[in-house]
Amino acid sequence: MNLAPYRKKSPWILHYNAGGCNGCDIEILACLSPKYDIERFGMINTGNPKQSDILLVTGPVTKRSRERLVEIYAQMPEPKVVISCGACASTGGVFRGMYNCEGGVDQFIPVDVYVCGCGTRPEQIIDGVVQALAILEKKTKGLEESVKLKKEAVKEGLQLNRRHIADEIKPVLT
Amino acid sequence: MNDVLIPVLLILLAPLLGGLLYGFERIVKARMQRRIGPPLLQPFYDFLKLADKRRIMVHSTHAFLGIMHFVSLWFALAVLLLGGDLILVIFLHLLSTSLLILAGYSTRSVFSHLGANRAAISVLAYEPVLIIMAVSIFMLNGTFDAAAVFTSKEPLLYKMPLAFIALLLVLPIKLKKSPFDVAEAHQEITGGVELEFSGLFYEAVYTARWLDYIFCYTLVFLFAGNNILLGTGLVIFTFIYLNALDNSTARVSYKQMLRFSLGVAGTLAFINLLLNSLS
Repeated sequence: MNLAPYRKKSPWILHYNAGGCNGCDIEILACLSPKYDIERFGMINTGNPKQSDILLVTGPVTKRSRERLVEIYAQMPEPKVVISCGACASTGGVFRGMYNCEGGVDQFIPVDVYVCGCGTRPEQIIDGVVQALAILEKKTKGLEESVKLKKEAVKEGLQLNRRHIADEIKPVLT
Repeated sequence: MNDVLIPVLLILLAPLLGGLLYGFERIVKARMQRRIGPPLLQPFYDFLKLADKRRIMVHSTHAFLGIMHFVSLWFALAVLLLGGDLILVIFLHLLSTSLLILAGYSTRSVFSHLGANRAAISVLAYEPVLIIMAVSIFMLNGTFDAAAVFTSKEPLLYKMPLAFIALLLVLPIKLKKSPFDVAEAHQEITGGVELEFSGLFYEAVYTARWLDYIFCYTLVFLFAGNNILLGTGLVIFTFIYLNALDNSTARVSYKQMLRFSLGVAGTLAFINLLLNSLS
């Protein structure tokens, strides 16, 4: 019996904030509200990685949260998809290059759908989830691995932090 | 013939009926919040999707206890619907709950332990009321058999209204509904005992929940005797009451829950027992 069509009928969402400003999180919660009501597609916001299909990540990956992010991703049973929600999760956004920040989510786990915006609009999130569902239906139950081990942590010396930038633009401003 | 056929059919179709009831409840709950809500068959879509996930288990005992929780709950429901001993039914239900609690304790997860602790406290909260209710029925009928209640001409509701109120007060604990959903507490401990189950093994716990609905509504139906119209009315009333309560209240702490259920519901059930044994 082919059960793949039922995957898109009950996608359960796990939402993880890897260290953002909570703007995207509020928009995700707005999706659950009466105006957008994503429960009509059978989506539930579970807090449990072991029972969820879609990982919605918001915010840039900080040095503290990367271990947790990979751990949560590894605990989700396949088939699973990852959506990076917002500019920060996709590329690092305004936090890119900061001393505590590692950049986008895709450095550590494979991302299937990128949703842009700062913060993302609920319509965009729903659109992204619909795209993710099409990918979810094609996925197999084969083991998916995080890319964490292949990538070294960003060295502090290599990054431009705000103090450096301030020093650089000081002569220009004065 | 008819007396056996209907219960047997109900027992066999119990997971199906429970799933439909759960789907309907999700729609009702969504409409109460002015949302559209999921389709009626949503629980079955969830069921089929969960069967398709990669199988991960913590350890085999954990998965086994989860499945046995489902089986023993179905067995308890069967005994109740076939008109067995009420005390036996209540203790079989307790057995199935304690299997789930054991499963919660058998993992290393902190949330699972917390959930198991809270599930045990919930049992402590609702079990005395149910047992007092069964004893009250014994005082009236002279037997613990549910069959005697199902066939009695005069509904139990008129003889023991206080016990019915007590049952209404503890049902949210049993069905893990707000304000007494400390055992599950999705925002707090993300599901408690069912946290570590996944895929096919979570299905056992998920469907056991549907059976629990049928079990509780049968307990409510018990209060109508052989009056099917009154029984249906009571079940519908309880359904609306539970969902309205679930939507309109916030979770209380487990201490408040215990104090309320033993203090108010327990006292009501006990007064009811005294009145029944005096008359």
